[in-house]
Amino acid sequence: MQITRRHFFGVMGAAGASVAVRPPTGHAWQSKAPPDPFGCLVDLTRCVGCRKCEEACAEVNGLPEPERVNCQCTIFEKDRRPDHDAYTVVNRYYTGKVDEFDKPVPTYAKVQCMHCQDPACVSACIVGALTKDETGTVRYDVTRCIGCRYCMVACPFEIPAYEYHDPITPKVMKCTFCYDRISKQGGVPGCATICPTEAITFGRRETLLEVAKKRLKENPARYLPHIYGEKEVGGTSWMYLSGVPFEQVNLPALPETPSPKLSETVQHSLFTYLWSPILLFGVLGGLMAWFNKNDNPPDKGGA
Amino acid sequence: MTHAAQPLKRPLWTPGVLVMLVFMFAGAVAIIARFTGGIGYVTNLTNARPWGIWVGIDVATGVALAAGGFTTAALAHIFGRHYYEPVTRPALLTAVLGYTFVVIGLLVDIGRSWAIWKPMFYWNFNSVLFEVAMCVMIYLTVLYIEFLPIVAEQFKGRVNLPGILSGLNRLVDGFLQTADRILGKVMWVFIILGVVLSCMHQSSLGSLMLVAPTKLHPLWYTPILPLLFLTSAIAVGYPMVVFETTLATASFKLDSEVKILAPLTKITIFLLGFYMVLKIGDMGVRGTWIYLLDGTYQTNSFLVELLFGVMIPWIMLLFKPVRQSARGVFTAAALIVGGVVLNRVNVFIVGYRSPLTENGYFPAPSEILVTLGLIATLMFIYRVVVTYLPVLQAPKEVSS
Amino acid sequence: MIKKIMVCACLIPFLAGVCTAEVWKAPDQEQARERAKETVPFIKEYKDDCQISRRICLMDAGISLDDVSTVYFLLDSPIIKEREDHYEPVRFAHKRHAALVDDCSKCHHFRPKDEDALETTRCSACHQDSFNPEYPERIGLKAAYHQQCMECHQQEAKGPVDCTGCHLKHVPDHKELVKLPDNPDPIQVTQACLECHDTQGEDMLKTAHWLWRGPSPYTTGHRKDILHGKGTTALNNF
Repeated sequence: MQITRRHFFGVMGAAGASVAVRPPTGHAWQSKAPPDPFGCLVDLTRCVGCRKCEEACAEVNGLPEPERVNCQCTIFEKDRRPDHDAYTVVNRYYTGKVDEFDKPVPTYAKVQCMHCQDPACVSACIVGALTKDETGTVRYDVTRCIGCRYCMVACPFEIPAYEYHDPITPKVMKCTFCYDRISKQGGVPGCATICPTEAITFGRRETLLEVAKKRLKENPARYLPHIYGEKEVGGTSWMYLSGVPFEQVNLPALPETPSPKLSETVQHSLFTYLWSPILLFGVLGGLMAWFNKNDNPPDKGGA
Repeated sequence: MTHAAQPLKRPLWTPGVLVMLVFMFAGAVAIIARFTGGIGYVTNLTNARPWGIWVGIDVATGVALAAGGFTTAALAHIFGRHYYEPVTRPALLTAVLGYTFVVIGLLVDIGRSWAIWKPMFYWNFNSVLFEVAMCVMIYLTVLYIEFLPIVAEQFKGRVNLPGILSGLNRLVDGFLQTADRILGKVMWVFIILGVVLSCMHQSSLGSLMLVAPTKLHPLWYTPILPLLFLTSAIAVGYPMVVFETTLATASFKLDSEVKILAPLTKITIFLLGFYMVLKIGDMGVRGTWIYLLDGTYQTNSFLVELLFGVMIPWIMLLFKPVRQSARGVFTAAALIVGGVVLNRVNVFIVGYRSPLTENGYFPAPSEILVTLGLIATLMFIYRVVVTYLPVLQAPKEVSS
Repeated sequence: MIKKIMVCACLIPFLAGVCTAEVWKAPDQEQARERAKETVPFIKEYKDDCQISRRICLMDAGISLDDVSTVYFLLDSPIIKEREDHYEPVRFAHKRHAALVDDCSKCHHFRPKDEDALETTRCSACHQDSFNPEYPERIGLKAAYHQQCMECHQQEAKGPVDCTGCHLKHVPDHKELVKLPDNPDPIQVTQACLECHDTQGEDMLKTAHWLWRGPSPYTTGHRKDILHGKGTTALNNF
């Protein structure tokens, strides 16, 4: 009895460990980012808070007209987030910056899906309703969606919104990067087209990085020396330049590791070819035969 | 066979059952409201807080507490400890019902309930949730197969359906006979499969949050979260059996099964100890103990989980007098069960930090009613099943 | 209602344009309109001077206010219209700005690299369509206008910085919207206005235009009159 119990503990421990420890054969995780995606560079020092991007976005994507569409004043009193009615919103932040008359200078920041290079939502989506396209777009296919909202849990930018009011066919709502437009030659997202000051620059991500670096070099006093989205969570297609700290305009400080890296590494090292479940099945089968060899053929289940 | 499970021949409609019916009714009303007004109508969920108690309690906790099913099956059948067979049936029933209600809870929680079949055809191998869903689906089937012999045992040869269904009597009886005969030979496959699937998805349930490193409080976010989930599920398996068997025997005034349950607690010392070492060791390795005394509600919740859910019951079980008293065993088991429940709630709800929006989530009354209603229904069905099917060890005076 | 009709009747001179075919056109406006339709070849390379040397350059060239050949511009271009068309073009008083700013280099910030080219050139020579992949750092014409105007207005704390400070919202052709008889009387016209602009009618009744009771110190010849509100006088009150 003593021996067998010890044996049992050992086996349980071994089984647990074999499930938990990564096998040496596990593949190193690789980024699945498209090679030459489009992107947008948002220059917060250029944004004047006119909210035309909100208007254009609603028009292009068939969303309801933004709240108080021509208002550039009281609408900024509350901090807004993209929701099921708006893929993008502009917020105003007073960060303590003042002009030469000691008047506080507002910073306006547009927020929308960042279209990550290795998106957590795409990795999380149970049915693959979210995909990262060659254009850089993180696309949503409603015909696959089951509404589990795991994408919303996974997103480090808190972007996907949900139609909570719809009982039967709710959708996940987020910026489409105007896929129908940018996938055509010369197409530009609605918000970038309308932006009066070109605070949103559209182009290839690599080009935009060069443009951003050039701006940082030419105007060191105007900007903080950081391109938000160049490295955050492994890089994003939408990137920001700012003259005030990014945390103060609701762009969270994030690690450079792509969000899905750890979970995908764990999953794939454990379940590639289902090696660990098969191994566990074999071990348990062997144990079952060993422990029950004195009994009649394996006893009736459930009993 | 060292035991004989029998249907309880007791009246079903006790006052307790009527209370359950009230909760079931309230829950049903809330569910109807959810399917007419939308999830937003009955819950406090927001874009910043997409998962609430329906995931944290109904699903995550439901899966964890159903672990008794596979741990007892492993012990009694795989490791040949037939001594524990009397508790395998109630544990199996708990698992069957637990997982059934996990699925029902999911149906209420996901926005497009009618699309729940889609993961079977659209596969995303990168998704942890995909793996969890597949395992739960297959495991639920395995559980029903494992449970089928109990139904067969009761009704084989005396199927008597009411009314017009009586025409199907022979067909159903034939099915039960055949199933029983075939299953008797291959049941070992399903028993092992059940254990394997459980290990897979119990751990993967922990991997769910790994994709959101910035959103889970560092006290819980660790690369070994899946291992912690697996070990805690294994550790809670026997305490859960103790907990529910004690409740059932007390409620039905059956013989106490402390005699059988006491050795289970000794195994639990090892299993829970392993989990405790991992959890505390992880905290030390990652240096997250610096958060412990910062006084936020999240940290306090972690302390309660660790002290009252793991350390205190573990220390209690070290003492022989505790292990030998029904009350002591039950208290320790209840604490462990509570600790694992709190752990799941902490990981999915309390420890979840929306990065941008300050969002204090507390479930809406109707949200709670759905959860309570589902639990009440589960208990009601448990009661119905033990009343009419041979699950529980019969009391001495009736048993032969 | 009658009151409102009377109020809006004062807008008749504007609406008259809708009804009559032959309209007088301002010659400088027409000229600016024609000029705005032109596009010029894209200047690919520019001389990358800093602003101070650019200013000295312009001063050396002896460019003064007298050299301002065009007094008035409409800031409009087919380049902008190609992408979207939401606002009326901005009317830009070129010479007035030149006189006020007294530093041409503020706007004419670079010159073409080609030495034979003129010292100053129009904005749309360098700034054309946005997001040109070959010149990614070159901003488009619309953005060039907005950045130039707004940044300066902000710096100088002078001049409008909001949308409608410079633009008129795109006004739809009212000939399509309103049907009036051949020779409408003032009441009919006002009624047509109020069909859509009823809030403006209500608002009018609350403004000084309607409510004014008291002296009118700035109204030549009527300084002592105290009944100048439209609600009290027969003048313009049909």
